[in-house]
Amino acid sequence: MSELSYQSPLAGVAEPQGLSISIREIDERGMIDLRGLTSDAGFMAAVKGVIGVGLPVKPRTSASWGDVKVLWLSTDQWLILSSRARAHELLSQLRDALQGYHSLAVDVSDMRAIIRLEGDGCREVIMKGTSLDLLDPEYVQGCCRRMRYAEIAALLDVVEDNVFDIYVFRSFAHYTWNFLCATAKAPAKLKLFGAQEVPA
Amino acid sequence: MSKPYRLSTGGRFVDRAKKVSFTFDGKTVTGFQGDTVASAVLASGQRVFGRSFKYHRPRGVVGLGSEEMNALIGVGLGARHEPNLRATQIEIFNGMAAVSQNRWPSLTFDIGAVNNAFSRFLPGGFYYKTFMWPQSFWKHVYEPFIRRAAGLGKAPEGRDPDTYEQIHVHCDVLVIGGGVAGLAAAEAAAANGAKVIIADENPHLGGLADISGGAIDGQSLPDWSAATGAKLYAAENVHVLNRTTVVGHWHHNFVMLFERVADHDPALLSQGVPRHRLWKVRAHQVILATGSIERPIAFANNDRPGVMLASAARGMVERYGVAPGSNGVVFTNNDDAYQTALVLKDAGIGVRVVDSRGRAEGALPNKAREIGIQVDTGSVISAVNTSWGGLNITDVKIASYRRGQGRVIKETKAEADFVAMSGGWNPALHLWCHNGGRIHFDDKLQAFRPKEHHDRIVAIGAANGTFGLSQILTEAIHAGSKLAGSGKVHPVPAAVQADERPLEPIWFAPATAKYNEGNKHFIDYQNDVTAADLELAQREGYESVEHTKRYTTFGMATDQGKTSNINGLGVIAEASGKTIPEVGITTFRPPYTPFSFGSVAGVLTKDLFLPIRRTAIYQWHVDHGAVFEPVGQWRRAYTYPRNGETNHQSIDREILAVRNAVGLLDASTLGKIEIKGPDAAEFLDRMYTNMFSTLKTAKCRYGLMMNELGFLSDDGVTVRLSDDHFLMHTTSGGADRISAWLEEWLQTEWTQYRVFVTNVTENWSQFAIAGPKAREVLQKLDPTFDISNAALPHMSFVEGRLGAYPVRVYRISFSGELSYEVATPANYGLGLWTDIVAAGAEFGIEPYGTEALHVLRAEKGYIVVGDETDGTTTPIDVGLDGLVSKKKADFLGKRSLEQEHLKAPNRKQLVGLLTEDPNDVLPDGAYAVRQVKDKPPMEMIGQVTSSYRSPTLGRSIAMALIENGRNRMGETISFPLPGGKVVRARITDTVFYDKEGAKLNV
Repeated sequence: MSELSYQSPLAGVAEPQGLSISIREIDERGMIDLRGLTSDAGFMAAVKGVIGVGLPVKPRTSASWGDVKVLWLSTDQWLILSSRARAHELLSQLRDALQGYHSLAVDVSDMRAIIRLEGDGCREVIMKGTSLDLLDPEYVQGCCRRMRYAEIAALLDVVEDNVFDIYVFRSFAHYTWNFLCATAKAPAKLKLFGAQEVPA
Repeated sequence: MSKPYRLSTGGRFVDRAKKVSFTFDGKTVTGFQGDTVASAVLASGQRVFGRSFKYHRPRGVVGLGSEEMNALIGVGLGARHEPNLRATQIEIFNGMAAVSQNRWPSLTFDIGAVNNAFSRFLPGGFYYKTFMWPQSFWKHVYEPFIRRAAGLGKAPEGRDPDTYEQIHVHCDVLVIGGGVAGLAAAEAAAANGAKVIIADENPHLGGLADISGGAIDGQSLPDWSAATGAKLYAAENVHVLNRTTVVGHWHHNFVMLFERVADHDPALLSQGVPRHRLWKVRAHQVILATGSIERPIAFANNDRPGVMLASAARGMVERYGVAPGSNGVVFTNNDDAYQTALVLKDAGIGVRVVDSRGRAEGALPNKAREIGIQVDTGSVISAVNTSWGGLNITDVKIASYRRGQGRVIKETKAEADFVAMSGGWNPALHLWCHNGGRIHFDDKLQAFRPKEHHDRIVAIGAANGTFGLSQILTEAIHAGSKLAGSGKVHPVPAAVQADERPLEPIWFAPATAKYNEGNKHFIDYQNDVTAADLELAQREGYESVEHTKRYTTFGMATDQGKTSNINGLGVIAEASGKTIPEVGITTFRPPYTPFSFGSVAGVLTKDLFLPIRRTAIYQWHVDHGAVFEPVGQWRRAYTYPRNGETNHQSIDREILAVRNAVGLLDASTLGKIEIKGPDAAEFLDRMYTNMFSTLKTAKCRYGLMMNELGFLSDDGVTVRLSDDHFLMHTTSGGADRISAWLEEWLQTEWTQYRVFVTNVTENWSQFAIAGPKAREVLQKLDPTFDISNAALPHMSFVEGRLGAYPVRVYRISFSGELSYEVATPANYGLGLWTDIVAAGAEFGIEPYGTEALHVLRAEKGYIVVGDETDGTTTPIDVGLDGLVSKKKADFLGKRSLEQEHLKAPNRKQLVGLLTEDPNDVLPDGAYAVRQVKDKPPMEMIGQVTSSYRSPTLGRSIAMALIENGRNRMGETISFPLPGGKVVRARITDTVFYDKEGAKLNV
């Protein structure tokens, strides 16, 4: 009947003003939720054969190969990131390759909203919503983990030193966006553990 | 006292070049940058800051900082007003409006002060004794009276215009207190590489160092504090927090810090800086360097404005250049207070010393005598006299004293206008004790000191009862050094300080008359508790100190006994013949000082008050006038009134559209869980009451889920996608709970099952197209699959495309009509929804909300878990025993369902109800009774679970759980409602519409 009409979770949201960091929605990202057993060598090899890189088995880490990135979610669960178009290919390739292996691969590209935070002071902004110690040396590029953020479930991916992606379930997109706009206001900017001015 | 008391020179904290004007009770007061409300108002010649809680006695400033219990004021106007702030901590700024509290009509003349004259009728335990009888008086007479007469400040008016926030931080070492001990410990810890936070409640670091005398490494203490502070500010691994009170300490060194970010500077607030910030700190190690709090002495009328702590008198002169009066008496039992005498003398203020000890031969007393200060040892102040109304001190009475003596016989009068008192120093133990730290009584100090603690926390310096400067530095540097890096202990700098001789305790200075005849000896100023009250409590049998506390209110409220604690225990000990350790100590509770509700809420206000979940169609619902209702955290469209319709009218319209044409529902909130694996079918057989292993691929089946107790916990339709792959629907509120429930059984009990479960609820937008014309609408959307009744019958499933949209289509119905639930990936949801609306226009499609959904299902007798069930309802109770498998070996709740009482015939069973008057709609939850009586109690036999007006049937319908209901078909039962009306209703079958289900299979 008509064209496919696509709306990202935060489509049409107003550009935020007066923030200490930049925040924006990451759109058009394909996501596959994959479950399987690391003890199953056939499963591990089959996945590597499709995505080009072994699944990360160390907790709270990610692995990348070209434009595909895999986030460790738990001991038997991963989130495979790619372009949206690529996710469809990957899913059918995975399903073919995993025939006969106990596993579950689901396209969840529409399940989450992704918000990218960029700039000096990102860590402090996120720490206004989570009890994680983002100043710990663990939180460098390649680290990802689930967290309780702003009272909801979220996923954090350290993209670069001052670049973070926060994943939340789609329905919480506007709530999370508003929470970030409230906590990232420029006048509320905070620098932890650095040289401070001596007050008058 | 009316003349200004600003000294011509001095005042370390004030900048005399910068004048600051503010108002106190509407009167303009001018002070200097750096003044507190306390120092500026005292400098202006005013001493009275408020009226006391119970007796409305005039009260002035007693302390220097957060220990202040008397001079509580309100700051700010209207919505920005904040009550009960300590005048000694509030920094003034231009335009500030401060007010005194608990006075009417004015500070100097207060009608409530009549309570003082009748004070013999207001003894300890007064509330318990007086307001007991008759019971009915409490609500209408006593409570309003107490609320008006007692209490402190007033609440702000209107919505708070400022912002607040919270942050979580971790550190290696949290140093609480920025005095000498805290600074030295922080420096040592930081030098060893630790990540350090040092928090101090004052605007400046240094604590009481600036008024303590002595030197470190040849530097004066203020210079040393400033230099050490500068190093900490500059360090990369230290975060210094000023104006930050540590309000509480909890398990595993979870510590809450309350930072007053912008209170002192309205310019910051207008820039949008958060007013307060609450820090939730997890510290590997806590160093408690909270210092100590000076004790008052209980003598007659020791609460008169002009009686203050010796440290406060000294601080007023040294910090702010403010004289506490023109001619004062220092009343002490220790050497430290002689420093106050020396400072006063140096500032040209008249002073003499009254020392309760028999001898005072330390370096400081000797120096005082040398410079000509009169020192009377073996003496006490037995009373202070005031001008009319107790506003100004005129003279003090001095009497000779030896410990344990009775009433004073002879006393001499000395002119004075202020008293600086010191009964010794108490380590500030509050934070140590918040989380179970043990303490012990030190006879030499006559105070409690920290003993052991189960957390990684150490007390140093005065907080540990260590008062010598060298010892403080040693403790601090050792504590700080050991915590990080190499643990290398840094050298302790040399310190010099005047030698001090020990104090002798004095808990009570005797007077000539009995206590209560104008001779009040205040112990707890904030709660107006006197020594006599504590003794009375002992005589009346309140032997436990915790009982005494509650009976007299001693040590309670915002003050938490900061200045009163040990003095009160001393009085109780003497009255009961026990030692202080035998009396024990009352509990210190967080917060150390009150902190704002704004900081507790942080940013979680207004639109962030609760996390709100939106479906992909949310904005369309808003744009089409939807009224919303909360379903869990979701906001779902309740109904779509238009053209001035009431909600009832629009709900009826939506229902009739579904019955007669076609409706469209946003059902995206339904839980959707993919379940896959070789054991998936068997797993589902165990989770559900009914059989799923027999379900054929591409077919749907309604399932009931029980918990182990046999009670219904969820329901929904599950489809078999392939041999080992299922998709389960749960209730909207149950998605996360059921997903976790499935995982729990797989991970903890049935670990042999090879099954994976993934909650995909949020990936899909899902809509019900329901009504006799549903198939025509679907056909118009250009499906890539056959939707005829033969190809896609009721309870079947197909995957394909509607036009360009990838979809999963379930032919299932919760309305009793021909119905398709169409799911598409959520980012296409809005596009497909608008296409369906457009395609359905010619068939009269109406979007319908959750209320229409509920009425439609109730007309069909379909249950809602949570309406027809309440957590104690079994499948048998709701008449769905047909869905409880008799064949399966086991499933959750099977065994429980075999219990006699769950099968008993007198259990409440689900029935339908038709009221005698079809226009009566029973309220939800209305009780059915066995017999209607004039008034309760009446015996209840059941309750209404769902009740609606059905536009389809043109009358009301209801469902109810009624005792033995299924055997009472046709019986009429009564529902007495509030107000006396009794609604009578006939028990029927639960299916009111299309009993044979003909409309489903078309």
